[in-house]
Amino acid sequence: MQIEESIKGWGQLSSDEIADTPVRPLNRSSFAMRIILLILSVLTIYALSTIDYNSVDIKKAVSDTLSNFKTMFLQPYSHRFSLPDAFYGVVVTMGLAFLTTLFGGIIALFLGLLAAQNLGLKQVANIIKVFVAFIRAVPTILWVLIFAVSAGLGSAAAVIGMTFHSVSYLTKAYSESFEDLDRSVIEALMASGANWWQIVFQAVIPSSVTYLLSWTFLRFEINFANAVAMGAAAGAAGIGFDLFMASGFYFDLREVGLITYFILAFAMALESLSTNMKGRLRKRI
Amino acid sequence: MALLELRNVTKCYNSASTALSDVSFSVREGEFVSVIGPSGAGKSTMLRCINRMIEVTGGEIYFDGVIVSKLNKRDLRKLRTKIGMIFQHYNLVDRLTVIENVLHGRLGYKSTLAGVLGRYSQEEKGQAFRIIKFLGLNEQVYSRCDQLSGGQKQRVGIARALVQNPKMILCDEPIASLDPNASKIIMDHLRNVSTGMGITMIVNLHQVNVALKYSDRIIGVNKGKVVFDGSPAELTPERIYDIYGSESGDLIVDLGERNAS
Ligand SMILES: Nc1ncnc2c1ncn2[C@@H]1O[C@H](COP(=O)(O)OP(=O)(O)OP(=O)(O)O)[C@@H](O)[C@H]1O
Ligand SMILES: [Mg+2]
Repeated sequence: MQIEESIKGWGQLSSDEIADTPVRPLNRSSFAMRIILLILSVLTIYALSTIDYNSVDIKKAVSDTLSNFKTMFLQPYSHRFSLPDAFYGVVVTMGLAFLTTLFGGIIALFLGLLAAQNLGLKQVANIIKVFVAFIRAVPTILWVLIFAVSAGLGSAAAVIGMTFHSVSYLTKAYSESFEDLDRSVIEALMASGANWWQIVFQAVIPSSVTYLLSWTFLRFEINFANAVAMGAAAGAAGIGFDLFMASGFYFDLREVGLITYFILAFAMALESLSTNMKGRLRKRI
Repeated sequence: MALLELRNVTKCYNSASTALSDVSFSVREGEFVSVIGPSGAGKSTMLRCINRMIEVTGGEIYFDGVIVSKLNKRDLRKLRTKIGMIFQHYNLVDRLTVIENVLHGRLGYKSTLAGVLGRYSQEEKGQAFRIIKFLGLNEQVYSRCDQLSGGQKQRVGIARALVQNPKMILCDEPIASLDPNASKIIMDHLRNVSTGMGITMIVNLHQVNVALKYSDRIIGVNKGKVVFDGSPAELTPERIYDIYGSESGDLIVDLGERNAS
């Protein structure tokens, strides 16, 4: 009896009230979002309508771009540049990526331990997290240019700047991996007389090691891409610098194409290597 | 002589409330003591004060002839190796194997470096394997702990405590997340450890009938005060009412079952 009545009640509710209740009520933040989207679309339409097209012949521009791409990617060739040269360039770039990931990883390991909420003082952890977030908010290239003021444009500035950004990235990643281990587990080990270092190396790191590896490999891939850019932008040698010279100095589109293919092949090989290594390490752990 | 003695122990987390007020009792070596009381009475707090996972606000705790609150960091570590601890949620490192978790109990005895590197002696490993076998976990030695059932996890917890060669084991609601069957296995093990190895047990419990069945002695806590301290036989329905207040209705039914059997 009662159940039937309450079901009837539900029926009424759905027909009268629920029908016109929006699923997502219009609160302040969604209202602000809509206003912003509206303003942005108005601005976009205005900008597009006021661009000065006169000096550009669209048809010609498109066909020129396509033909440039065609030379670049369909006829890769270089007379200045031999395969060993290119290989040497890539190895230099990879060295840069490896070095900065290694330095970054080691420093971040310790900072990450201090920044993990379950391992240390909450205040220290929060200070480190804020500091590291600030470093991360500034792009790698800017850090390299900042350090170039004192170290001069070149590989030294690239190493320091890229390490700096890697440290901040990996500290966040590592500390969050460490936080996966419950505080109560750490307290249990404390209660049995283990000290902080023992707990870190016997419990915290072993239980987060697969995450640590994943993040480190990911950062290595990012650093490889960064190292290419640093070669071009900060004169840090390597394949990036060759690319910069080919495009900006010799204006040799076919060489640009060749180098791009080379970087692409190398990046892919790197990716499959790191996936492979991760898999193998994971099986062993 | 008493192994453990609490004298006028007081603990305030903040000025507003006192979790423990003026708690005094002593425990003999090899005794099996259950601590019962309603939720929030201060049972966990009391247990954690004993091995100084929580600092007391006032009073003194003597364990094995030393004053716990006066120990420096190094001696506190030594003291903690002599006191095992078991938890409701097991608090194992889930991603590690059973044997690795059990060996964690030895860390307190090792130098920082040996512990960091995980260098366990042949003797320690042998002991760990013997304890694991004793607790009936020999098939799971190399299983990861997240693949175990609750009862098995708790047995790993007991093994981790036993490998410390403790004089006393503190158990904070060891069977609160287990079914009756697994609970019985765990309580039987705890009782065997206590009787067979002469290890003192202090066990926080929610089930009065379990406390009655297994303990040498029961301590009742309410609102941070010890309101009962005596043998199971002395725990009459009136005393249970003192401990649990008005919530004690169901518990007395449990007691009736015991008297019937
Ligand atoms: N870290 C803390 N900070 C502040 N107050 C706390 C803290 N831990 C416990 N308390 C308070 O101390 C009192 C005793 O808590 P305790 O955990 O010792 O109770 P308990 O008897 O173990 O309860 P339960 O049976 O639910 O586990 C409670 O009122 C609780 O709110
Ligand atoms: Mg408790």
